[in-house]
Order: sequence, then structure tokens, then C-alpha cells
Amino acid sequence: MLIFVIRRVLMGLALLLVSSFLMYMLVDFTIDPLEDLRTSTDPSAALQMEQRTEQLNLNAPPWERYFDWLGAFVTGDPGVSWNTGRSVSDLLGSAIISTLQLVSFATVAAIVLGVAVGIVSALRQYSSFDYLITFFAFLMFSLPSFWVAVLLKQWGAIGFNDFLVDPVIAPMLIAGISLAAGVFWQLAVGGTLRRRLIHGALAALAVALVLGYMQITDWWLQPRLDWVLLTVTSLGIALTVTTLSTGLRNRRSLYTALSCVALGLVLYFPVRYYLFSNSMLTPYMNYGIVLLLGLAAILVGALVGVAWRGPDWKQSARTGAISAFLIAGVIFLDKVMSYWPAYMAAPAINNRPIQTIGDRAPNLGGNFWVQLLDQYTHLILPTLALMLISFAGYTRFSRGSMLEVMNQDYIRTARAKGINERTVVMRHGFRNSLIPLASIIPVDIIGLIGGALITERIFSRPGMGQLFIANLNMNDIDPVMAYLVIVAFLAILANIVADLLYAALDPRIRVNA
Amino acid sequence: MKIRRLTAIVAGAAAAALAITACTPPDEGGDGGTGGGDDGGIATGTAVTVGWNQPFYEYNTSSATGNATANANILYLMQESFNYYDEELNLVPNEDFGSYEIVNEDPLTVEYTFADDNAWSDGTAVDAVDLLLQWGATSGNLNTLADEDIEYDEEGNVVNEDEVDANVYFNGTSATVGYITEVEVSDDNKTLTATYDRNYADWEVNLMGAAVPAHVVGMHALEIDDAAEAKQAVKDAIESNDTEALAKISKFWNEGFAFGDTLPEDKSLYLSNGAYLLTELVAGQYVTLEANPDFTGEHAASVERITVRYNEDPMQHVLALENGEIDVMAPQATADLVTALEDLGDDYTVETGIDGTYEHVDLQVTNGGPFDPATYGGDAETALMVRQAFLKLIPRQEIVDKLIIPLNPEAEVRQSYNVVPGSPMYDGVVAANGQTEAFPLENDVAGAEALMAEAGVETPIDVRVLYGASNARRQAEFAIMSETINPTGLFNLVDAGSDDWGSMLSANTDQYDAALFGWQSTSTAVTAGNANFGTGEINNFYGYSNPEVDALQDELSVTTDPAEQERLLGEIEAHLVNDAFGVTIFQFPSVTAYRNTVSGISPITISPTVFYGFWEWSTSGDTAGDPTSEEAEDSEG
Repeated sequence: MLIFVIRRVLMGLALLLVSSFLMYMLVDFTIDPLEDLRTSTDPSAALQMEQRTEQLNLNAPPWERYFDWLGAFVTGDPGVSWNTGRSVSDLLGSAIISTLQLVSFATVAAIVLGVAVGIVSALRQYSSFDYLITFFAFLMFSLPSFWVAVLLKQWGAIGFNDFLVDPVIAPMLIAGISLAAGVFWQLAVGGTLRRRLIHGALAALAVALVLGYMQITDWWLQPRLDWVLLTVTSLGIALTVTTLSTGLRNRRSLYTALSCVALGLVLYFPVRYYLFSNSMLTPYMNYGIVLLLGLAAILVGALVGVAWRGPDWKQSARTGAISAFLIAGVIFLDKVMSYWPAYMAAPAINNRPIQTIGDRAPNLGGNFWVQLLDQYTHLILPTLALMLISFAGYTRFSRGSMLEVMNQDYIRTARAKGINERTVVMRHGFRNSLIPLASIIPVDIIGLIGGALITERIFSRPGMGQLFIANLNMNDIDPVMAYLVIVAFLAILANIVADLLYAALDPRIRVNA
Repeated sequence: MKIRRLTAIVAGAAAAALAITACTPPDEGGDGGTGGGDDGGIATGTAVTVGWNQPFYEYNTSSATGNATANANILYLMQESFNYYDEELNLVPNEDFGSYEIVNEDPLTVEYTFADDNAWSDGTAVDAVDLLLQWGATSGNLNTLADEDIEYDEEGNVVNEDEVDANVYFNGTSATVGYITEVEVSDDNKTLTATYDRNYADWEVNLMGAAVPAHVVGMHALEIDDAAEAKQAVKDAIESNDTEALAKISKFWNEGFAFGDTLPEDKSLYLSNGAYLLTELVAGQYVTLEANPDFTGEHAASVERITVRYNEDPMQHVLALENGEIDVMAPQATADLVTALEDLGDDYTVETGIDGTYEHVDLQVTNGGPFDPATYGGDAETALMVRQAFLKLIPRQEIVDKLIIPLNPEAEVRQSYNVVPGSPMYDGVVAANGQTEAFPLENDVAGAEALMAEAGVETPIDVRVLYGASNARRQAEFAIMSETINPTGLFNLVDAGSDDWGSMLSANTDQYDAALFGWQSTSTAVTAGNANFGTGEINNFYGYSNPEVDALQDELSVTTDPAEQERLLGEIEAHLVNDAFGVTIFQFPSVTAYRNTVSGISPITISPTVFYGFWEWSTSGDTAGDPTSEEAEDSEG
């Protein structure tokens, strides 16, 4: 195992070295640091050209510059951007954070949704639902991201903001949306005609009710979760989590989840209006505290599960932890949403909340909650753009691997033993179907970090991709090389991690080769 | 426990929560809309937001790194100078800042006098010491280390750091400020007398203001706490040429004013002496400037706050404009962009105009090609006739009609090699240079044929045209030129387009005969052209040499009288036309678009383009706030 790791690491380093040389040569060949001076009529242009040639050592052959660069890079100095005089490590620091923020949310959402849809699609193989999902997956796959991004801006930002001026959805439209949702849902549910009709009708009704409720309560301009919505959402969370985690038959688990709902309802008011108030936490809020609060919720949920005891207290604790975390998240969201009217009315926003450039609105001011809201109104479109495309990929992957697993003998054995279908799917099918995904996800995440380039540029987010393009345009080799080396490094690392992960998950694979 | 009991508990909890909610009014939260107490600390000011393509990153616009339009634009809002360009590109003295005059013609001596109530935003006076430092830094006269003595490794890191630190090295050198060899500051620091070592025609745009406050440099570099003392220390250091102090000063001047991710905590690093104060900066995204309440000059802020946001892609600016994120944009014009802007509708104004860059064709005269006398056995006359014939055929009007008029309906063929259209000397120089007659706008095929017949060379002649191969507009220009010129049978254009055209211009002169590209003007300096046409000058890639032009350039560079300058420019250009040096084609089109709630936007051709005239900007009341938000007031509980 250790030898395997060492070998892979050494090979990775060699690869990195060779690729850095190639990249340096290519970049050096592409850029022309004197470009701006060549067409300048400034009387000092000649002098400046001489200075710059001297500064960047442009008269030396490129490999000489490469070795200079390499020497500095391996000793921990990635150089300076000659255009701005800022050190590359400084530039990278802020760019990496911005990219991670964008990519992490998009990846998590794409994986969760993509895997879920892919698995349902596999379970209903060759049904209309399956074909529909396959169709959309290929459609998304084939969409160029710059085009998706611009469409999102046009409809998701400009269109939605126009809608918010007078947010009324025509009743016919509500009916249409509900009907479509109903049709989609009955396809996903499958089974007998009766079962499908009932589920479809219920789904359509639910969607119609939600949209109607939003319309009546002016939800678009004043989004909130009052106790009605909170109760409904929390119960929904509890039931879903229990179903997926242990199945509703596991009573202790169900009671744990329901206890969490009760706890959430009791704590809603004090948390929302006292703990999160200006006199309490608001002035001190930051992401660290949010993280702590999230951990506290998980702990409380787990304790509730433990308190229900029984031989399978671990399962209850798991159910409780997930439910409590999600319910706490909903309450948190409610606090954030409460600032929506104030946010909309801010001069810097001017009632057009969904933004298309940058990662924050200038001159907004505001406390933690407002800034959080602002960050997400800027994040939502680029995240969607990234998500739509990688979502399609995950759907296909998880569908394929789920199908393969479900055709295995041990699934038949499990069914023959009389295990209920939920356990067969969730425990024996789903878990095993994730193994191939484990080898794809790390590589995919790296692909996003490097490849969020177009999305970042279009949405003008100051991330890694933007750093790369902007500096390539400015003929600045150091930041460009730093970007390329980091992405190459992460790609190699991701491959090693994927291999190890695969070996750890699948005992049939041995890595002592 | 039975499920029923648990359900009862949940219901009970919900009821209890409802009860608490009902009887205790929320103490806060945005729930009450904007009127409901807590607004989350949201700022209430409004701003005019301008979209730009490169972020602001350094305060010192004279240093080697800070010398960029993106910085200059912002500093234009923050700093006054001795003069500024008006809409007609006249250089207008700025009496609020100070006055200047020539006190002696030989040697050229200029006296700068600072107005009394000028102050940096920390209260320290703006005076001659600031200008003294500007001279000291940009003239290069104080540097004890030449550029070539500094050793860099690949990242631009200085290798011989210690040696550099011990020496005086200001990195932002201007050759023309270097002509000033002697300066003298009066005892009251109000006047500075600059003496040139030669006459210099463009003295008026040479030393115009101070990029950085001298006292701040002194305070940081020499670790002095008191502003006045620090200023005096800088003055002493420069006057006595104190190498040790100057070494520290130069180091800080070079590096001290670059910004990181946000504004530095030390406010002295971004002082203002003009209409606006820098109040917020997010690297790579935006800067915000607020009106300077202490500013007393004429060009005072008229809108309270200006924000400049960045995105490199102009099409994204259009969407941002439509979505209300920016109010004003002034990108380079392309056909798609202008169409997209015009589709925005009646709530926006789209204005087209001209940019500071102009397109032109120059001919190689020493590369052994068709325009080189050597090709014809040294027969200069024949080569000249071939050049003239070629230039007569370039379809200048057609290029403008097809490529530029759609973007700027008022576009015209540029007729001067030196002067920006719309600037004071343009009409005079054009009248004198005779380009219009020599190379008529309607292609003079007959004239070209006659010339070629007279030259007696075999036609068609291959002409290799170098241009930026990935530049769509230049591709189109080349296509139009080929379509008109090739059928005449006199010349055959060969596509020598390359993405390396910039370095090929000087390095591969044997690979092209004609070059099609743009020169960018940054000022109306009359001596700038010398680099293009003078014998052996840096931008003269073609081997063009005319002793008379050189003599006239020498005379021009020491002529300070505008009328005389105009006459000399006309004569120089007449030579260029007679020698068939090349032709000028068009001024790049520019486009400015803004929301109709903003008014007073009137961009000029050269830097600071759209930011010119910020003192006349205004906004109508409905840019901020909207009735819908007030209607939404309502509170729960």
C-alpha cells in the first residue's frame, strides 16, 4: 500500500515537472509582454520597452527563464505579476477562496441531485421517466457553458427581476406548472395506473397549493417560513430522511425524527428572534459560528436518537442528526430570508436582486445576514450554470452503475431472502453503486476548479479561471503558470485519491501492486 | 410511545410556537419590510456605476506597474493637475490647482505656481515638493542605478536586492521628464522652476501634477511621523541628492502604493486632492469613490458616489446594464456589441464616437521588397512611384463605409499621421499635408496605372500585408483591400497575417511589405510622431529616412508656439505624403451607453474617455428606491 502511494506520488511529481516545462514553453510562446508598448505612441515607449525586457529577462532563451522560474517556484516563491506588482501567492489566495465557494456548492448540489435522479431513473429503466431523464441529460451535456450562462442571465436574472416588479403568476400558468409537475411525478413514481394517478394528482395539488400560498402571501417579495410552512417542511424532512435512512418501519428512528421536528418548532421562536437578534449573535456572526451552530444541531439530533435507545440506537442517532441539521438549516434560512425586503429596497440593489456580475454588490453595507443574502444572489446563477452541466454527467454515471449493481447476483439473493425493497435498494444497491462514482467525483471536482473558467469570466467572479484568463491576456506568465501548475497538481492528486478511495471502498481491489 | 402521542406532542409544540409568536411581537428582523425597524445596516447612498474592462490596482500611476489606463481613470477622479483636456481636446490650464508659465525661452524654463488652498485629503498642502518628487521620480535623473544593473530572475524578483536597496532607483521613468535637468523649489514651497536642457515642444503635457503626495512617501520611507517634517525631509533629500534617503524614498515610491485585496488600513496611502475620495476597493471587482467634502475647485463632484465595476467581456456589461448593475459603459465598439446595445430600448442612450487609436497602412522601404529602391537597382524614383500607386489603390473610404460607419455613422477617413481628429490642429494639418489629394478617397485606378506605366515595372507585383490574423476587423480590411486592388492587375496582395504581428513588425521586416495596424494616441503631444517617422526611431520599422523630416522634427521638438507647431506638422506630413510613407485609414469607433437616469456623460477621444466631465454628471431621482418595496410593508404577529 505504502509503496503504491509512494510510487504514484513520484510518478505524479515527474509528470508535473514535465508538464510544467511544456506549459511554460507554450505560454511563453503565446504571450508577448511588450504587446502594449508596440503600438504606443508614448515618447517613452522605447525606454519602457528596454526596461521591461531587462526586468523580464526577455533576451534570454525561454528555457533559461523556465529554470529561473522553476528554481523560485520549488523554493516557495511563485513570483510576481509584472503588470500589477502583486505577488502571485497573494493573488492566488483570494482567487482560490472564490473558486472553492462557487465550485463546492455547485458540486454538492449536482452530486446529490444527479445521483438521486440517476438512481430513480435506473430503477425505472426503459420507462418514460428514464427516457425523459436521458433526453435531458444529453441535452444538458451538449449545452456549451457560455451559452447556458448567458441564457441564465437573460432569464434567471433579467427576466426574474422583471417578474419581481409585479410578482403575479397567472392562475392558468399555476395550473399548467402543477399539471406538468404532476405528470413528471407520476412518471417517477411508477407502478400501477392507480398508484400513479394518486401520486400524480397529489403532487399537482401540492405544487398548486404551494404556488397559490406564495401568491396570496406575497411570498416573492417577503419570503419567510412562518410556523405553517416550518411545520410542513420539517415534517417533510423528517419523513423523507427516515424513509431513506432506515425506513418508516423503524419506529424509534421515526420517533427520533419527529422529536427533532418538535424540538425545532419549540426552538424556532427563541432561536430566530432572540439568539439571532441584534442584541445577541448578529453582530458576531461569521461562518465559524454558523459551522458551530450546524455542529450543535447535528449533536442535538444525534443525542435525541440516542435518547430513544433500543438496540439500533446508532441508526436513530443518524436519522436524528440529519433531520436536526436540515431543520436547523431551515430556521437559519428563514432568518436570512427575513432581510429580503430590506435587501430588495437597498439602493445598491434597487429591486433587482438577482445579479449577473461580481460576487457582491458594491456599496451595499449591511450585517452578516444581508451580506450572506447578497453573496447568494450573486452565486445562484453561476452555480446553476455549473450544476446543470455536471448534473447531467452524474445522472448518467449513477444510472449506469446502479443498473449494473441491481443486476448482480447478491441483489437477487437479498430479494430472495425476503428483504424489503427499500433495504435492497438503499443498502445493497445504492451503496455499491457509489463505488465507481468515488473514482469520478475527485477528478470531476478538479475539473470544475480549473474549468469554471468560462463561468467565472462570464459572471465576472474573481476566481482561479478569471485569474488565468486575465493574466494570459495581460501577457503575465507567472500567475498563468501558477494556475496551470496548481490545476495540474490537483489533477494528479485527484487521480491518486480516486485510486485510493476506490481501493478503500471496494475490498476486491488491491493496491499493493 | 405510540405514534399518536408523538403526533400530539408535535402538534402541541407547533401550537405553543404559534402562541409565543402571537403574543410576543418580534423584536426585530427584516420582517417588517424597510419601515419595520431593522434594515440590516444596509447603506442608503446611491451611486453612478461605470463598467470598465480592467480593474484598478495601484495608486501611483507613474510607477512602472501602476502606469495603466485602469488606474489613471480612477486617479482622474481623485487628483487635480495643472491642466486637462476639454471636449475639443484643447489643453485647458486648471487655475484651481495652480498656474504655469514659461519664464525663459532659452533655456526653456517653466515656473509652476500652486494655488493657495490646495490640500490633500489629510489636510497637508499640495505644493511644489509633491511636484519635485514627481520630477525626481520620473526624470530618472536621480537614479544611481541604471536599469540594466538590476538583475532579475524570471518572476521579476530582483536578485541583487541589497544593491538595489542601497541605490536610488525609481522604476517609472519618462524620457521626456528627463529633459528637465534642473529644478528649484521656492522657500514657501509654492513655486517650482523647471529648467530644460533643450527646448521641448510638449512641455505642457510633460510634468502636469503629482502622482503621489511627497509627505506620505517621506513619512513611510523615512519613518517620520510629522507630515511637514516628512515633506521637508523629501525636499532636502532631493535637493542635496542624499543617496541614502533617496534609496528608501525610491523603494517606497515604486512599491508602496500598490493595493492588495482591499484598501489598506493606512489611509494616507490613497489621499485625494480632487473631487472624490476613494472609499472602497475590492480587488478585481470594483472601487467606490465618494464626493470630497473639502474640495473647493471648479470640478467638484456632482454625483455623490461613483462606483467602477469590472468585467473583461463587453457583452456581459450589456447584460449588467440591462439588469441595473451598471449605469454607464464605454467599451471598444464591435458590430455585435452595438447591435446588442441598440436593442436595449428607449430607457438607454447609445452614443457612438471615436477612440484614440487609428488604423493605418505603412510600407517597408528597406526590406528588398516591392517598395524598396534596392529592388529596382537603387532607383528611388521607381520605388516611389510603385509606393504611390499602391497607396492610391487602398480603398480607404470603402473600408470606412463597410466596417466603421455601421458602428459610428459619423466616421470619416482619417487624413493626418499625427493629429487626432477633432483636436485643434487637425484641420490645419490636413489642409497642409495633401494626403486627400495624393491618395483620393475614390480609388484613383487611372492614376495608379499611369504611375506604374511610368515606373515601367512588371505587374502584378506581390505585396505581403502583415496584420493581426485573429482580429476580425483587420481580416475584413484585408479582404476589402484584396478585392479592390487585385482586380486592377497592378498588385497582388499576399496574406501575411500573423498573430505575432506585434513582434514581427520590428523583428521580421523581410516577411512583409505593408503593415496594417493601429497606433494609439495617449495625448495630443506633437512630438510623439517622431518615433514613427524619424530615421532609426523605435517605431519606424520600415527604414524610412528623410533628412528633411528629421530636421523638421528637431525643429518641432523645440518649438513651443502652437501655431508654429501646426505649420511644422503640416510640413512633416507633406513629406510623408510625397514620400508615400503610408496612409491613415480610420479612427477606431467607440461606443458609450448609459441608462437615461444618468445624464451629462460626454466622453472624449483620449484618456480619461468616459470619465471626462464627471463634474457635469447628474442622476434623476428615480435611480434608487422603488414604490414596490414600500407597498410590501407588513409585519407578522
